[in-house]
Amino acid sequence: MTIGDYQRRVIRQLTAIGVGVAVLAVVLWAVVAVRSDRPIVYGDITDHFKYGSIGSEPGGSLLAPIGGALPPYEVFKALPAICPDRLPGGYASLGLIFEPGHDLPIGVSRRRRLGIDQVGFNCALCHTGTVRDTPPAAPRIVLGMPAHQLDLETLVQFILDCSLDSRTTDESIAGRFAETGGRVSLFERILLRFGFVDRLKVTTLDLRQRIAPIFANTVPRWGRGRVDTFNPYKSVQFNWPLDKLPQSELIGATDFPSLWNQQPRDGMHLHWDGDNTSVDERNLSAALGAGVTPATVDHAAIKRVRDWIWTLPPPSYPYAIDRALAAQGAVLYQQSCLDCHADHRFRDGVKAGTRVGEIEDIALIATDRHRLDSYTAEFAANQYALYPDSEYRFKHFTKTHGYANQPLDGIWLRGPYLHNGSVPTLRDLLEPPERRPALFYRGYDVFDQANVGFVSSVATADGRAFTRFDTALPGNSNSGHLYGTTLPDADKRAIVEYLKTF
Amino acid sequence: MLRRPALLWLVILTTVVGAVAYVKFFRTEPPPYFESAEEHFLFGSVGSEDQDGIPYWIWLVLPRVFPEYLPGPGGYAGLGMVAKDAHEMPVGVSKTTIGFPRVGINCAMCHTGSVRAAPDEPPMIIPGAPAHQLAWQQYRQFLFASASDPRFTADTLLAEISKNTRLSLLDAALYRLVIVPRTRNALLRQRDRDSWMQRNPAPGRGRIDAVNAVKFGILKQPQDVTVGAADMPALWNLKAHRRYQWDGAVTVAQDAAMSWAVNIGARTRWLDRDFEEWNDSRSREMSSLRRVLNYVSALQPPKYPFGIDDRLAATGAAVFTRSCASCHAIGGSRTGSVIPAAEIGTDTQRVDAWTSASATAYNAYGDGHAWKFSGFTKTAGYAAAPLDGIWARAPYLHNGSVPSLVDLLETADRRPARFFRGYDVYDRTKLGFVSIGPEAERRGTLYDVTQPGNSNAGHLYGTDLPADDKRALVEYLKTL
Repeated sequence: MTIGDYQRRVIRQLTAIGVGVAVLAVVLWAVVAVRSDRPIVYGDITDHFKYGSIGSEPGGSLLAPIGGALPPYEVFKALPAICPDRLPGGYASLGLIFEPGHDLPIGVSRRRRLGIDQVGFNCALCHTGTVRDTPPAAPRIVLGMPAHQLDLETLVQFILDCSLDSRTTDESIAGRFAETGGRVSLFERILLRFGFVDRLKVTTLDLRQRIAPIFANTVPRWGRGRVDTFNPYKSVQFNWPLDKLPQSELIGATDFPSLWNQQPRDGMHLHWDGDNTSVDERNLSAALGAGVTPATVDHAAIKRVRDWIWTLPPPSYPYAIDRALAAQGAVLYQQSCLDCHADHRFRDGVKAGTRVGEIEDIALIATDRHRLDSYTAEFAANQYALYPDSEYRFKHFTKTHGYANQPLDGIWLRGPYLHNGSVPTLRDLLEPPERRPALFYRGYDVFDQANVGFVSSVATADGRAFTRFDTALPGNSNSGHLYGTTLPDADKRAIVEYLKTF
Repeated sequence: MLRRPALLWLVILTTVVGAVAYVKFFRTEPPPYFESAEEHFLFGSVGSEDQDGIPYWIWLVLPRVFPEYLPGPGGYAGLGMVAKDAHEMPVGVSKTTIGFPRVGINCAMCHTGSVRAAPDEPPMIIPGAPAHQLAWQQYRQFLFASASDPRFTADTLLAEISKNTRLSLLDAALYRLVIVPRTRNALLRQRDRDSWMQRNPAPGRGRIDAVNAVKFGILKQPQDVTVGAADMPALWNLKAHRRYQWDGAVTVAQDAAMSWAVNIGARTRWLDRDFEEWNDSRSREMSSLRRVLNYVSALQPPKYPFGIDDRLAATGAAVFTRSCASCHAIGGSRTGSVIPAAEIGTDTQRVDAWTSASATAYNAYGDGHAWKFSGFTKTAGYAAAPLDGIWARAPYLHNGSVPSLVDLLETADRRPARFFRGYDVYDRTKLGFVSIGPEAERRGTLYDVTQPGNSNAGHLYGTDLPADDKRALVEYLKTL
């Protein structure tokens, strides 16, 4: 062996070792990047509620991502510019609320998963609303109130359709990154080179196919402020072929509820049909709707929200109240309403009345029954296997036969009324069904102090088209709940005045 | 010099691999214990997980991966498996850990019924009642169709499993390399073993061809062309029974219970272990099967949950005594005995399906074991059963060919020739389940009396009674 041979051998060996170490480093870096799971953490609880992640971003493995309803952060931001014709007014026109200093709306969280910045929905999406005193006034953002202005169905459809649009490509996404000056990591650049958008389209297509029957023409649109909680769940969680269900079972849209003052609600029948008695389980169920899976859910983050809404006070009525009239109303309320709905002290945890949180039989309450029928015993049977093999497994769901009596804390912000949001104001609710508005508009956030509710006669304003609500459509009936409808007009006005104090 | 460390390493490696294999595949954890005898009946293990059990995580996600092989939406619930008291597993499905969590079935699968007062009412779940709503054979075929699908792969199944739990790297690797492929092969073997099902009419909801499953699958008898499909019977008040099975071919309660464990997949070594505690009276220690047997022996039939006209029922009692009691009253002269098929005139396929050779073979099955069977016989007719809880035992006759008691009191030509079985809304006028109409059609399976084994002829007793007597008799039957 000559010296030259020896040197060459050493060099060869060193090169091999060097290449090996480099490959190992790259692999390690990729593994760490893909497996890292880092939410943006907010110290302030209201910021956490508005922008914090509950784990609803896609996760799992890069090859078979699970959960999530939204494309990655940069794509989510780019979509309105890529498909301007599909959403001319941008996200804000759908009722998503943008605050200064934030590039994402309230209700959309950001979290690093699968090596890139992902976004997901959180509780605030459907439980944060806006109110205005008058048309020129600035909107007030109220955390925990129903997102009566949000058109969730159109939002989801836009995301699905634009993600699948031919204009959405690796190149157009990369182009948007460049234009907006977004910082693109090396990893994201590599992903974009290797069919990233194609894979996104595959998962989007699967989601769209699963929920397509809900968005079919035979099902009336949810419209602003409403969601069908359980039908998407049947297909997204359990992959039921929805097209084989009776058509009427796919009609299940109801109002978003308020999220404040949860403590006194624990143990009551929750959800509109009272199908669950556990606040925590109800929360985890709603989180599934936002896009978590039992494997990607962030229990600690949900617990933070839960602890906060446990005692979050309902906002007090900010306008003038005729105290004398309200006092008269209190007496009438006691006779006609209190037993089922508790009184103004529920905000302090006082559960007056014997039937608060109990279920009223559908024959008695006689409101639209579609929502009740959309929740079936077969579905409950499937839910018991959710969050399997863990302390969180669902144990409190049941099929019921009516709608649950709700406490009325903060009721002034919870319009439109009834479970399906078919009656625009409290004053209208005290009229018999034939005198309640048959057609009105939902989603405008100017407050109607006379009737208590939102102004419901405006079709468009500030570039937004509001939801034309037709009570003749299936699922939208404004019948039933006749309590108080036979009282004299003065009594009705007094009750409405008293309800302002809730 | 070099050999010794190599050998040492080999020994260490073998030990580690062996230990991991033992823990991950064979170590049997005690099955979940249920305090109440009812819950033990509904959810407890009777040893079927070991042999025919399905790995839990695969079982959980299978309806979500292959919904197209189910009769409709609803996952396992769509097959008629029912939930009770928010238990994770459906009634009749047990879960134990043998190396890894596995799912098996127990007696309650076919012996717990669902009854609804109206289409929008929540179901009443009745332990011991025939699972008239259960599409048992469709469940088996769902498993077979899934295993036959090229997408039954570790990639597909683990992707769905990953939505529900985070398997450890080791567990994920074991699922990928061993558990998924072995499950697939086991299901395909079962499919081939059960291939005889293909040539017979589908039993439909609430029925099972257990005779042929046992005869061919367990006793390895030569193939024949019989149709053994029959109703799932009620399993209550067993102490009032002297013979078991529709044809009364089993004469020993213990044999009936233990052979059913065999039928659904319990191994002899499980039976040996279980039988050791047969006479233990402490519920935690006692034999699982004995606990089930004790429960169903004492279980009282469910009371009729709707109104009864007491005066009419009293009139009916006299009609019953005259026309029915000798065969159907508890303590009647012929109650519990086998009535020759020629005398009853009902379909003979079921009784013909069970053979003397099968009886002999089953009596020899446990040779050398303490629990060896001796009660299997061959009969030539059907056992006259006590009618306790008869309202919940629809459809009627051994093959479930008559949807209601009112129909049963008509001659065969006036009984429905085509109807749907498995819908659980109760028909209070006719006493049986609603068997026609769009919902019965959507939820149920078609029953056609012209198919082999499905004849609704025979058992003409009471068909010649005056209409008033029939009405009174039906009212009385509600009280049983």
